[in-house]
Amino acid sequence: MAKIEDLKDEARKLLREGKVKYIIGYGAGSNGWPAAPLFIKKPEDVDKLVWDPTCVHNLVRFLVDEKRRKARQRQPDKRPVGIMVKGCDSRAVVVLLQEKFIDRNDVYILGVSCEKTGVVDDTKLAKKLPGKKAKKIEVDAQNRFVVTTEEGKTEVAAAEILAERCLECKANFPVIYDLLSGEKTKRSLDEPFGSLQKIESLSAADRWSFWKEQLDRCIRCYACRSACPMCYCDECVVDSINLAVTAETTADEKAQRIRWIQRSAESSENLVYHLVRAIHLAGRCIDCGECERACPLDIPLRFLNKKLEKEAKELFGYEVGFDAALPALVSCFRDEDPQDFIR
Amino acid sequence: MAEDYEPRIVAFLCKWCSSAGSDLAGVSRMEYPPNVVPIQVMCSGSISPLYIFSAFNRGADGVLVSGCHPGDCHYIKGNYYARRRLNLVKKLLEYVGLETQRFQMSWVSAAEGTKYTQIIKDFVKELKPLGPQTKLRRNP
Amino acid sequence: MEKTLAKKSFSQWVKKLSSWSVYIPRKDEEGRWNYAEADSGGVSLDVLQTTLPPKKILFPQREVFLEFAKTLAGNRETLEIKEVLPEVKPTVIIGARPCEARAAWMLDEVFGGEFKDAYYWRRRDQTALVGFACTIPPSENCFCTSVEGSPHSEEGLDILLTDLGDRYYVQSMTAKGEKLISAAKELFEEPKPEARKQVKAAHAESEKKIRRQLKDARPIAEKLKGMFDSPLWDEESMSCLRCGICTYLCPSCHCFDISDEVDNPSPLRGQRVRTWDTCQFPDFTMHSSGHNPRPDKASRLRQRLLHKFQYFIQVYDKFMCVGCGRCITLCPVGIDIIKVLDKVRDHGA
Repeated sequence: MAKIEDLKDEARKLLREGKVKYIIGYGAGSNGWPAAPLFIKKPEDVDKLVWDPTCVHNLVRFLVDEKRRKARQRQPDKRPVGIMVKGCDSRAVVVLLQEKFIDRNDVYILGVSCEKTGVVDDTKLAKKLPGKKAKKIEVDAQNRFVVTTEEGKTEVAAAEILAERCLECKANFPVIYDLLSGEKTKRSLDEPFGSLQKIESLSAADRWSFWKEQLDRCIRCYACRSACPMCYCDECVVDSINLAVTAETTADEKAQRIRWIQRSAESSENLVYHLVRAIHLAGRCIDCGECERACPLDIPLRFLNKKLEKEAKELFGYEVGFDAALPALVSCFRDEDPQDFIR
Repeated sequence: MAEDYEPRIVAFLCKWCSSAGSDLAGVSRMEYPPNVVPIQVMCSGSISPLYIFSAFNRGADGVLVSGCHPGDCHYIKGNYYARRRLNLVKKLLEYVGLETQRFQMSWVSAAEGTKYTQIIKDFVKELKPLGPQTKLRRNP
Repeated sequence: MEKTLAKKSFSQWVKKLSSWSVYIPRKDEEGRWNYAEADSGGVSLDVLQTTLPPKKILFPQREVFLEFAKTLAGNRETLEIKEVLPEVKPTVIIGARPCEARAAWMLDEVFGGEFKDAYYWRRRDQTALVGFACTIPPSENCFCTSVEGSPHSEEGLDILLTDLGDRYYVQSMTAKGEKLISAAKELFEEPKPEARKQVKAAHAESEKKIRRQLKDARPIAEKLKGMFDSPLWDEESMSCLRCGICTYLCPSCHCFDISDEVDNPSPLRGQRVRTWDTCQFPDFTMHSSGHNPRPDKASRLRQRLLHKFQYFIQVYDKFMCVGCGRCITLCPVGIDIIKVLDKVRDHGA
């Protein structure tokens, strides 16, 4: 895995010269997971930055928070924010740029390459080493993971605890950056969208049973929505609170505001919520996996979004998150778009 | 299921072509099943996927979206967007296991009253054996 | 009442409880534990900590309050409103941890008092909690002893079981507990004198094994009174995603929303329901004027900590936090309530 000394030097320089407001990166965690997001304002704190296979988080979400924070201030500080991104995360930045949600001048992108490996999945790790808490994970010269627990060090083959999405990685180093730490290496990968096979090959009735069973567990905590960098709408379809309330809005209008989806965690409502979210992310989801990682009940949400990612590629030749000049998937069309499903 | 089960279809019809086509069918006294609840929209491109999911959520057994033929959209490009977006909706609904026949899309022009009646007749025939839609329906 | 129960008789006891709805922790194929209705699948008790606490059963995600319907008879329109109180069979939750039972005890305070919540008490009165003393800490992040709880606390429980190797030591504190025991009284034995000594030793041992500590919880509670405007909240909440997991999975969090679910607008027919809500959503405090008194993450993190560690003490003289550690384990960005409170304690020192 890349050593980030060059990144740290750049970070120190940026902070000392006041070129960025603060830097969003990875630091030591505390709740049993070795890494956590870290916000650095002073150059002397840059030494706290870490980079290892436990840096799973997609920090691009905090760019959305930054935009909201600026919107609340009367005289916002217009300097950019520095952000550490992996390959997948950088594609999220591209989507935000594509949608003109942020400006290129709002971010200073400190890219890191995953080189020959990727990040570790906490569930797979817990299954591989049950009952043991990982204090540190490193990559050795043979690209295996070395997990340090209270009992000592264990070597694990990367494929056994790599996050599922890393096995089908589309960009193991950032596609957009101001600085890149690490090598632009090629990796061997699984077949793209291969993981969808096991669901797609089921019969319609079995697919329904699968999704119903999974989504019945949902308690509508909306962690999936909160963790996703693309879910940045101020007024989400589930909230339907109608922010455009003025002094003239009558009580009746407020009481009869549209509620598309009820708050109850009933089977039908859960399904509609997740379907709406999936379709709103069509052509925007870059498979950072945060939704699935955040979900407290381990619902396999990636497979909903991945299906639409596959359809976008196969039906419309659309790849998400590589070109910020491309229009959004649903705001463009080709003359040859398939219409065999239309009578 | 009951012999007298009649599927309820919600049809989103674009004002300039498909809705006019359905009017032509009516004015010409063509017969077709009464299972349709027509909703006129300005353009098939203005259909948000939310309308379709919401129709199923409120009890529709089938949903039809009908617009102008490619090249004939009153707003020039709306139906092209619809073609792309609703293809994604169809694939997603199939993926979660909803019966494919329940969501359909068609191109019906203002002159195609006969085509419209045929589409509805076929739709009702395909929906009858499937029974009422319970998967996305709220409080079934 | 104190008895012992041989471990091999445990499943027989559960079978004899057929006139109760029995909830036990159940593991699914992916290794997740959650409370579910007991069936013939047998009872496995090597559960550590379930994802969702038993509050899911006492205080469900969705509760119907009343049903309303308008009927038209001739020219007269009448509105009928029908209260819907839950019909609850006697229920027993087996396998609750002492911290989760203490949380139920907190919920009893909130929903009880001068104005009792009829819906909550319909369920609570019919529900018995059978808990297991934690001989090993269920979670890496447990800290019940720091918030005036303990791994063998009896508060909120009807029966406390302590593992003594080949048998359980059974302590029943309430009439509900005695009823559960008498459903299979032939399986229970009088405890031998050394069993009592073993239990005391096991309990003392369990307290030492608790992994994490929060020192000086009461002084922290006092100090929080003066920290409403502290910049500490902004720093600590920078990485918060406002996802709501900490509150949804907390055994004692109980905020809710009430909304009308209209099945049919005309003639009007629908239900008024109560659903879970969380102070971590921005909309929680959104006024109808558009003003929001807690517009940012700092104010919401402050609210969560103050509610648990200050306001509840002012009103009920108890810590609302029971130290189960779920919010720490499940927070996607590693916000650690113990570390934040440590910073509160050391702030300005």
